[in-house]
Amino acid sequence: MAVPRPTGRSRPTLLLLIAAALTLLTLQFRGFAPLDSFQQGMRDLLDPVRSISETAARPLRSAWLGVFDYDDLRDRTERLEKELARMRGRQLSSEADRELLLRLMGEVGIDYTTLDTVVVRILGTPPGNFSSHTIEVDKGLDDGLSEGMAVVTGAGLVGRLEVVDRSRSIVRLATHPAFRMGVRLVGSQDEGLARGGGATGYLVIDAGIRPDVEVAVGEVVVTSGGRSRFPADIPVGRVVDPDQGADLDREIIVEPAASLEHLSFLNVVLDPRLADAGPLERG
Amino acid sequence: MTGRLRIVAVLLTAMMAQVTVFEEIRIDGVSVELLLLVSILAGFHGGPERGAVVAFCAGLLHDSITATPMGLHALVYAPLAVATSHLEVRLARSTRPFLAVGLVVAMAVGVCATMLAGGLFGLHDVDVARLARTALVASLMSVAVVVPTSRAVCWAVTGGLPVDVDVRGSGVESRG
Repeated sequence: MAVPRPTGRSRPTLLLLIAAALTLLTLQFRGFAPLDSFQQGMRDLLDPVRSISETAARPLRSAWLGVFDYDDLRDRTERLEKELARMRGRQLSSEADRELLLRLMGEVGIDYTTLDTVVVRILGTPPGNFSSHTIEVDKGLDDGLSEGMAVVTGAGLVGRLEVVDRSRSIVRLATHPAFRMGVRLVGSQDEGLARGGGATGYLVIDAGIRPDVEVAVGEVVVTSGGRSRFPADIPVGRVVDPDQGADLDREIIVEPAASLEHLSFLNVVLDPRLADAGPLERG
Repeated sequence: MTGRLRIVAVLLTAMMAQVTVFEEIRIDGVSVELLLLVSILAGFHGGPERGAVVAFCAGLLHDSITATPMGLHALVYAPLAVATSHLEVRLARSTRPFLAVGLVVAMAVGVCATMLAGGLFGLHDVDVARLARTALVASLMSVAVVVPTSRAVCWAVTGGLPVDVDVRGSGVESRG
């Protein structure tokens, strides 16, 4: 049963609390470091408890998946078996492999797989129900990671490190609506700015590419490097809609090269520029 | 144990439960919004003022564990607790099923408001279908844990602290 309550003082209190919340939000968006440190400290404090909880829940989760997601697991196994057979076939046809590799390298211009990377394991979605287009991985500051570092798979760019705690990090995927990056079209060598397409799952190049530039469907898009926070020439994806008839606001739709479906591990590109940079340089 | 310590104990317990047990129990990728539930129940049991303060603290704790900007959840939870409290006054003689439906609605409003606030600050895109699904699932899942949570919140917000008494209809206010 609820207790009787006053009615007169709630309005000023509420206004005060709303003002406090807005002040905190403003400070956070202005990069007020103590708030970030407080949040990071809280998450680091809870990390051992979360790890124990995850370990304890793993057998239960496996049992649950075995009972309720059996069909999905079977499909995945079949898909992996097909993939394995395909890979064996590729191994046998080494000539074709080499040709493919040369063609891809010719398109991209560099073998980005030579970059120094740290392998991270995907833990799942971060805590909470509002973490769309973000994933949590199992390494952090202790492993040399820092905010802004590029996250890739063998296929190309996945996203960048958004929040880095001591032993965990949150990756903002390239499809996140607030994700921005400099890109280069390999065919025309034009550089532009791409953003995440959100729920569409695509990327959109909406700035920097002139309307009269010929862009072909299937053209390879890579990171531009330069002043961008990402190293140059990491594959981003392929053009699926060049928006050739656009007048001024040209929006080129790009299908990401890397898919997270059924992936367990990612690579974080160790960029010394970001590791050495302070918060301002990291942007 | 004083009232304030009880509130701190309940909030910290709820936070721990949120990041451990309830993170593991997800239906369609959605988990229980325990701190939102605590906020609503704080408004229900503790009145608008105390409810708002407890909800604000719950929101800050939620912001700390979910890596959202500090103040985002607090901005939504505190007004929701006050609104719940004012509605509770009008629904004082309601039956349990009616209160359960009211709780589901309040939870859904809270989830939607949080997501819209996040969208307003550019944290994510607002996908209406996903929003509706998340709000519905989170609300229904939260109702499943409402009984123990309600008891704990009631114990925390009504025990120890002085309670302001407003004798309804008479306009007389006294303090115990």
